[in-house]
Amino acid sequence: MIRIHDLEKIYKTEEVETIALNKLSFQVNDGEFVAVMGPSGCGKSTLLNILGLLDDPDNGSFLFNGIEVAHFNERKRADLRKRNIGFVFQSFNLIDELTVFENVELPLIYLGVKGEERKKRVEEMLDKMQIMHRRNHYPQQLSGGQQQRVAVARAVVNKPKLILADEPTGNLDSANGNEVMELLTDLNEQGTTIIMVTHSEHDARYSHRIIRMLDGQTVTENILA
Amino acid sequence: MLKNYFKIAFRNLWRHRVFSFINVIGLTISMTACFLIFLYVHFELSYDSFHSKADRIYRVVTDLKTPSEMLHTGGPSWAVGPHIVQEFPQLEAAVRTTGDELLVRKGNVKYQELNSLYADSAFFKVFDFKLLKGDPATALNEPLSIVFSQSAAKKYFGDQDPVGQTVLLTGDGLTAKITGLMEDMPENSLIKADMLVSMTTLTRKFNPGLDDQWGNYGNSTYILVKPGTRISALQAQFPAFLERRNGDEMKRLNMYPTLLLEPLKDVYLRSTRNGNNTGNINNVYIFSLVAVFILLIACFNFVNLTTARSAERAKEVGIRKVVGAMKAQLTAQFIGESVLLCVIAFLFTLGITALLLPSFNQLAGKIISTGVFQNGHFILLLLLAALGIGLLAGLYPALVLSSFKPVSVLKGRFSTGSRGVLLRKGLVVSQFTISITLIIATIIVYNQMNFMRNQDLGFNKDQMMVINTNSDPAKEAFRNAVSGMAGVKSVAMSSSVPGGGNPGAYSMIQNKKGEMQIANLDLYFVDFDYIPQYHLKLLAGRAFSRDFQTDTTQAMILNEAAIKLFGYSSPKEAIGRRFSQWGREGMIIGVMKDFHFRSLQQEIKPLSMRIEPNGCNLISINISAKNLPATISDIEKKWNALIPARPFSYFFLDDFFDKQYRSEERFGKLFLNFAALAVLISCLGLLGLASYSTMQRTREIGIRKVLGASVTNIVNLLSGEFLKLVAIAIIIASPIAWFAMHSWLQDFAYRIHISLEIFITAAILAALIALLTVSFQAIKAAVANPVNSLRTE
Ligand SMILES: Nc1ncnc2c1ncn2[C@@H]1O[C@H](COP(=O)(O)OP(=O)(O)OP(=O)(O)O)[C@@H](O)[C@H]1O
Ligand SMILES: [Mg+2]
Repeated sequence: MIRIHDLEKIYKTEEVETIALNKLSFQVNDGEFVAVMGPSGCGKSTLLNILGLLDDPDNGSFLFNGIEVAHFNERKRADLRKRNIGFVFQSFNLIDELTVFENVELPLIYLGVKGEERKKRVEEMLDKMQIMHRRNHYPQQLSGGQQQRVAVARAVVNKPKLILADEPTGNLDSANGNEVMELLTDLNEQGTTIIMVTHSEHDARYSHRIIRMLDGQTVTENILA
Repeated sequence: MLKNYFKIAFRNLWRHRVFSFINVIGLTISMTACFLIFLYVHFELSYDSFHSKADRIYRVVTDLKTPSEMLHTGGPSWAVGPHIVQEFPQLEAAVRTTGDELLVRKGNVKYQELNSLYADSAFFKVFDFKLLKGDPATALNEPLSIVFSQSAAKKYFGDQDPVGQTVLLTGDGLTAKITGLMEDMPENSLIKADMLVSMTTLTRKFNPGLDDQWGNYGNSTYILVKPGTRISALQAQFPAFLERRNGDEMKRLNMYPTLLLEPLKDVYLRSTRNGNNTGNINNVYIFSLVAVFILLIACFNFVNLTTARSAERAKEVGIRKVVGAMKAQLTAQFIGESVLLCVIAFLFTLGITALLLPSFNQLAGKIISTGVFQNGHFILLLLLAALGIGLLAGLYPALVLSSFKPVSVLKGRFSTGSRGVLLRKGLVVSQFTISITLIIATIIVYNQMNFMRNQDLGFNKDQMMVINTNSDPAKEAFRNAVSGMAGVKSVAMSSSVPGGGNPGAYSMIQNKKGEMQIANLDLYFVDFDYIPQYHLKLLAGRAFSRDFQTDTTQAMILNEAAIKLFGYSSPKEAIGRRFSQWGREGMIIGVMKDFHFRSLQQEIKPLSMRIEPNGCNLISINISAKNLPATISDIEKKWNALIPARPFSYFFLDDFFDKQYRSEERFGKLFLNFAALAVLISCLGLLGLASYSTMQRTREIGIRKVLGASVTNIVNLLSGEFLKLVAIAIIIASPIAWFAMHSWLQDFAYRIHISLEIFITAAILAALIALLTVSFQAIKAAVANPVNSLRTE
């Protein structure tokens, strides 16, 4: 599904040039659950943003389902993104002005799904995430774990082929964290490819394979399953 | 999708009530102001366009060249109208009109009809005034025919049909027949009359031969040309026409008229020949400009407050992009929000305008609009404008917001600290530049008004009651009866009083070189008591005196302006020189100091005075302030006893004179209101920005206080920034205001100097207002307990 080769990302500020990704290459197959680990500042989030088509690389190749997307313009990236990729963030990133239901509904709206169908799919998803009873609440009225469940629901409601999760348990206690990890595992078992950045060895053990990074390069890959 | 936008738009507006409130209020105020101005401007521009042939109607005016001056009159001589139709086949008709104040009686009902108008019979052919009863082709044919307006007819006939009935006209009680009933003339008409009298009444009965008088002025003449007539070509034939019909007289009198045509639709706003009685295109421009300014200020508020808040919206933008929103969709969403805001403001505007309209009509001095909802397409226009404003004001913030990169936004280290700050400062400076310019302009307008009201006019206008006898035969008897009364200090009679009209007379005055110089001199007929009663000062010679028999026919007094015209360098030199005027000849016996017999807009013109009891219809009564009501009622009793045919009416000279400044006063009041609005909206914006920036800096303020900053330190820190902007605005606004107002003042022959104090006053005012607005927020933030603000992070 994903094949990157010699991917480079360099941040230039006035004084320093930071090489966030340094000729990074790897590949992720359909249906895989991959964990990305490494010390702070090694380029994990940068990588995830590029994989999620939120950012573009400076050099190298990025094949998504066999298509070269490294130099797609914003429009094309947005289009590809909304059909294929779901995001889960450490800080949930729900829209405060929208209810739980409306937050989850949002990707479907941008996909142009009709109202009836939308309602059905959102309710299905909320049911699955066991937050149906909170459907009319606003994010601030929910606990961290509940918020992250809503965020996961929003990430998968349009049935993406790929989910990118950046420290999804970073802001949660272990009980809530495990719950989210179970959710991701379930999704993976149903066929969704998952790439997850984490600092937790415990969470990483849910994955099939761990990619370890240092200074913008992969150092090792551990196959777990 | 739309529903989702609406939902989030509404929630956003509600969640940020303060900002929404400021925006909606600002937009509502500015849209209301603009809508009112629009109604006013539309009304002013609509004058006389209701005539279906308006494009073919022209007013004939005259530039009259005498050896001494060039006179710009609002009409030609009496002969031009009837002769011009005979001469030019391009003309379909010509109509002469002249106003009068006619006494009308029907049984016990009597009125001095102040808006009477003599009109030629083609009146209804040329103009579209609606005749409800009577034949438009013949109604004004015969002498002593009257066409009443509906409301005038009601006074005499109630609900009866007036057509065919008669009334008594003038003090002589001539029987006149009502030949027509017309709708009341519309407000936006140059010609306004309650009663039309056939012109033949004048030309055949009262003043036979008028139709052939080429040297006699005092009417307005309108012509209707055939379709396709080239006006410049027509105008080019006029000199030959005058030469042919009147060449000899022109040479003999040494007065050369040039006939010019003014399109009817331009007369009200653009002609400079109407005195201050009509509109002024400059005011239309000024108010349109003010409207645009006010709108700009509100739009700037919107842009400022929205971009200042962009950090708050950034996260939403990021998330929406992550879940699949296109940039264009987000742009549309944000524009949609601003449009929504404007639509809300639109609804408020409709309501508030409806409420304000009556007072606005009053302020404007006429019924500009009878109701907002009367005119569907105005409302539609306003809605379109609201949508347009929403689009325009929303565009920039929408583009800024929708172009945020999700990567940087969602990382949480996104800061809008420096983003758009320069733009916001620029916009605040522009808002205050506009506001301060308007403040300065208002101060200058008011100073000029005060100056005109308090200027020494050179004559006594206090406690002066004036009664028009309308040349009633009993006027002398009435005068004598009043002059001995208790409470009456003195009585004088004259043809004219300052602030009113007076005739201009063809005159020949011996000039310094000894020649008889021809000039058109303003003329006052007075009696022996006029000069002392009005406290007019003689500079040389003497006033009229009963001791000199010849004074009644052979004496003239001139003002300073007149003797300057005839070349004299000192008043003394003019004494004893000869004059010839309107059939009288004699000597100049005195020179009086210039006094303002017209408004201060106009230069003091050369003026002559003569004794002429027949021409003196106005009685000026100087009454003592004590027992004023009793004195007036005594005078009224005398009137009713001696002149029972006429209704008793009077005015006080000071009010009468100040009425000339009514349009300036209205202009000043309107201007003050709109300037205040502009300042208010600017302050609203400032308030929003200040509260936002202090909110953002809560933490910084907390830390500073923990480190030892005092409340004053903090307030200075927060207010100083905004005051700097206001200071810049003052520097920019001052020269702009100076230029604008300097040219505005050019319309006044007597005017104030624009002093430095005005600018200092405006600067202090603006700074105070801004400081008050900002410091409220700053003080609130500064006195807050730092523990609270630090805990919130
Ligand atoms: N917008 C930016 N401008 C400049 N440098 C940046 C930018 N974003 C990231 N970097 C730098 O790139 C490097 C990689 O950052 P990245 O956020 O990918 O690290 P990370 O592995 O996700 O760290 P963490 O585990 O702390 O989230 C860091 O050195 C960071 O300072
Ligand atoms: Mg990271």
